[in-house]
Amino acid sequence: MKLTRRDFAAGVVAGLAAPHIITSARAQGATIKIGMCAPVTGPAAESGRYAIQGAKLALEAVNKAGGILGKQAELIIEDDQTTNPGIVLAFSKLAAQSDIVGFLGSIRSTQVHAMAPDVLKLGKPVMIGGTDPNLTHMGNQWLFRFRPNDSYSGRVIAEYGVNTLGKKKWAVLHSTDAFGTAGGKALTAALEKLGAPPLLDQGYANQSQDFTPVVLAIKQSGADILGSYFTFENDLGIFARQLRQLGVNIPWVGSPSIVNITALKLAGPALYNTYGVADYAEDSSEASKAFGKLYRDAVKVAPDNQSSWPYDAVTVLAAAINKAGSTEPAKIREAILSIKKFPGAEGEYNFDQNGDGLHGYNIVKNDKGNIVFDKHIEFND
Amino acid sequence: MDLVLQLLFTGIGIGAVYALVALGFVLIFRATNVVNFAQGEFSMVAAYLMVVFAVDLGWPYWLSFLIALGGMALLGVIFNLGVYYPLRHRTFLPVIIATIGASILLSNSVLAIYGPQPQVLQGWFDTPGIQLGPVYLDSQYLLIIAVTIALVFFNYWFFEKTLLGKKLQATSQDKEMASLLGISVSTMIMITFIYSAVLGGLAGILVAPVLFVSIQMGSTIALKAFAATIIGGFGDVAGAIIGGLALGVIETFGAAYISVPYKDGFAFLVLVAFLIFRPQGIFGERVAEKA
Repeated sequence: MKLTRRDFAAGVVAGLAAPHIITSARAQGATIKIGMCAPVTGPAAESGRYAIQGAKLALEAVNKAGGILGKQAELIIEDDQTTNPGIVLAFSKLAAQSDIVGFLGSIRSTQVHAMAPDVLKLGKPVMIGGTDPNLTHMGNQWLFRFRPNDSYSGRVIAEYGVNTLGKKKWAVLHSTDAFGTAGGKALTAALEKLGAPPLLDQGYANQSQDFTPVVLAIKQSGADILGSYFTFENDLGIFARQLRQLGVNIPWVGSPSIVNITALKLAGPALYNTYGVADYAEDSSEASKAFGKLYRDAVKVAPDNQSSWPYDAVTVLAAAINKAGSTEPAKIREAILSIKKFPGAEGEYNFDQNGDGLHGYNIVKNDKGNIVFDKHIEFND
Repeated sequence: MDLVLQLLFTGIGIGAVYALVALGFVLIFRATNVVNFAQGEFSMVAAYLMVVFAVDLGWPYWLSFLIALGGMALLGVIFNLGVYYPLRHRTFLPVIIATIGASILLSNSVLAIYGPQPQVLQGWFDTPGIQLGPVYLDSQYLLIIAVTIALVFFNYWFFEKTLLGKKLQATSQDKEMASLLGISVSTMIMITFIYSAVLGGLAGILVAPVLFVSIQMGSTIALKAFAATIIGGFGDVAGAIIGGLALGVIETFGAAYISVPYKDGFAFLVLVAFLIFRPQGIFGERVAEKA
């Protein structure tokens, strides 16, 4: 066969156009893909399993209800190894798949900070659970938060401790990672506003094996109440036991990790009668109760915030794409920000222009191992 | 003063754990001239074996303990045959890399079998601790300290007073000479691996009720134990124990009086100082022995 100049030119054009055509065809594929970075391995592997199960339950519900834009939705999971380099790698793998329309990032602020520059570069919506207030206030328009940020948790811990429990001599204990530092700062600022600046502001490094010096510092400070921001349940469990063993029995109001399933299992009675701010409290609303039942039936363990935020993230993302009628990132963003009074497992979503969906917290109490809803504190600012 | 006593007790308790794992590092180093980076994983595996036998199967604690240590002895044999023996004629680097590979294999195998959930293992005693005046003595730490002291005496007796111990020492000092004297070098190295695996396992079982049983528990302890062996003097049994105890006390006091977040930093600061000013460690390697 003789190759003419016209055949050659047609061949070159087809060769150049093929990748684009294949990519577009894939983007218009049979399913709508959502990427998820989750800790399948590493220190947070257990909570990662809960997160994946929460997201999968939401995906099943979305698909049962007709899917996204008439297509079935699919979850693509990459292991973030519970590390910052791990999540950067996981996100880059997902971002390389051009047919993924939206993503779920991490519940850990430090990991969200690590991936944030790549999120900005990609320009597609990423749902996050990290609660460092800065995440939605640093000019990254593609981050959408599905848990109340720490400026609210700090204010709720402070308000509950000062106004409900009547305590003014505070010890603040926090991890020195991004989450813990931001949380500790928010709590300290809230306490100062309420006229009760902390007597002790103590940081600790993650994966500590011993908290004796910390407990002794709390004891010596003369504090009559403890506020805490723990990142890992192992640390919380070790600290809680040593706190009680060394005879410190002051009231303790902690960040959400104090009421998560793993912490309750590890620390046992050492956490009895403590209080926690919980973005997820099963009895706080009808939507929370419904999620709780669904999760218990499917997974056979009690639900907590590790599973509730990915559940809400997938539900809201699907609703937003359906509302936008398009998978174009800018239109999805607009649709997410326009969501108001949306009943989720975590609470009622009213997105502000920063990308924060929730603006308040529940206070719960550990009543001999049972987490009991106490009250909800909402802020309008 | 109360504060100092409390910190001293905790520091010695934590240090004793480092010392037990460090001892495993030293014994293998003396016998093979390589560092076994899977030593921490031995602790983790033994702790999980305890969870399987004592928690899941509900067997008596002492029986589970003996079976777990027996399992560790078996792991020592497998480790020797599978990781060290095929590479015994190579330089130290391939062996070290093989031990790192084995450490990854062990932790991921446990992860695959048992899942990522941290587990709770009860201690030996029903009483969590005793209040002695102003100082609270955690019963598990008391046990760890007692076992470490007992091991100091046991090691002295074993290595200095028994024929097997002397054969092990001879092998660690000069393999060729030991072989000429009729000592089976490969058997001695096998015994060293078994003993090191059991020691690492013992540390894991003892510390599990304090730190919980998790995939990461071994690597966290091993890093400090490795530092302890360098501080004590690489290759020295007494040095490993003193180095471990010193590290535990230094980091506990450093955390209490200087900075909690930089607690781990103190341990490694001391390590760096030793590497610069006294690289042979507190006791130093007895060069005459190697000559």
